[in-house]
Amino acid sequence: MIAGKRYFLLLAACILWLSGCSSGKTILVLLPDSDGHVGEIQVSNEHGVSRVNQANYAVSVTSGKAPRPPVIMAEQEVSKIFTAALAAEPPPPATYILYFFWDSVKLTHDSRSSIQKILAKIQKRASTDISVNGHADRCGSKKFNIELSRKRADKVRTLLIAKGVPPSDINSTSHGEGNPLIKTADNVPEPRNRRVEVIVR
Amino acid sequence: MKYFAAFLCVVCLFPMGISWAADKYIGSIKTLDGTVTVVSRGKEVDPVVGTRLFVQDRVKTGHNGSVGIILQDDTVFTLGPDSELALKEFRFDPKKNDFSLVSRMVRGTFVYVSGIMGKLSPKSIRIETPDGIVAIRGTKFAAQIQE
Repeated sequence: MIAGKRYFLLLAACILWLSGCSSGKTILVLLPDSDGHVGEIQVSNEHGVSRVNQANYAVSVTSGKAPRPPVIMAEQEVSKIFTAALAAEPPPPATYILYFFWDSVKLTHDSRSSIQKILAKIQKRASTDISVNGHADRCGSKKFNIELSRKRADKVRTLLIAKGVPPSDINSTSHGEGNPLIKTADNVPEPRNRRVEVIVR
Repeated sequence: MKYFAAFLCVVCLFPMGISWAADKYIGSIKTLDGTVTVVSRGKEVDPVVGTRLFVQDRVKTGHNGSVGIILQDDTVFTLGPDSELALKEFRFDPKKNDFSLVSRMVRGTFVYVSGIMGKLSPKSIRIETPDGIVAIRGTKFAAQIQE
């Protein structure tokens, strides 16, 4: 009998918990990107869909009911509800471009000095998430340039590791001539495409 | 016998495939304030800036906590106090055109900023909340889940 009573209480608790859940609500507010661009969100459940494509418009949705149409939300309200979440936004990834001499893994003088800046940024952000992406211009075959840009990436990777960056924190890729900064015809030398991009997240 | 060998292969290789995928980190903790817990591969850890995140991880904040994370495609999630985010699925392979980002905002307050996947394949992104599913076209939004 006591066991039966316990089950009853458990059941009652479950029902309360479930009904508590169904009274919940999600509020979504569309915000402008850092460059001012405004995208679109769409919220749906089995009862309907609601689209938002204007900045600072909010849509609310309760499970078991169709999402409401968007309404404007005052900026003060947005910053009040989301103060902590907005403040936690990490700085955007920092990108550095290092240039090389023609057909070479030798860094230009200016680019050698960028290594110090990269190391300082890694330290400041306590970053464990660094991309080193090698590129080449269109002199030579595609295959040759894949290999050349791999060697360039390896060179930068080695320099960073020599200064104490753990190898497991660096992810290197080789793009060959496939991802130029400046588009050129084949076999045209272009110093600005002979590069390694380092991204510190 | 042949079938048995094939069966054995499937049975043995299948978990290998999973563990390989699970070993690949999908993002990391970038900002941290107050009480923050990560349930990573079944264990609770106290994260620091730089702690790596994996598929199926959960990130939780306490009453005074907040946290910012960046995924491998530069997608950003931040959590305000008393919040919980489940990272359910993540695949980012532009060379194979293979993309997927599924996350669940369980409770609390959030900011989401889309990354490269938001540009290359927005239809591969699905953010779930207890009340509905959010689809995104390259954008930033804030969400509050009221219990």
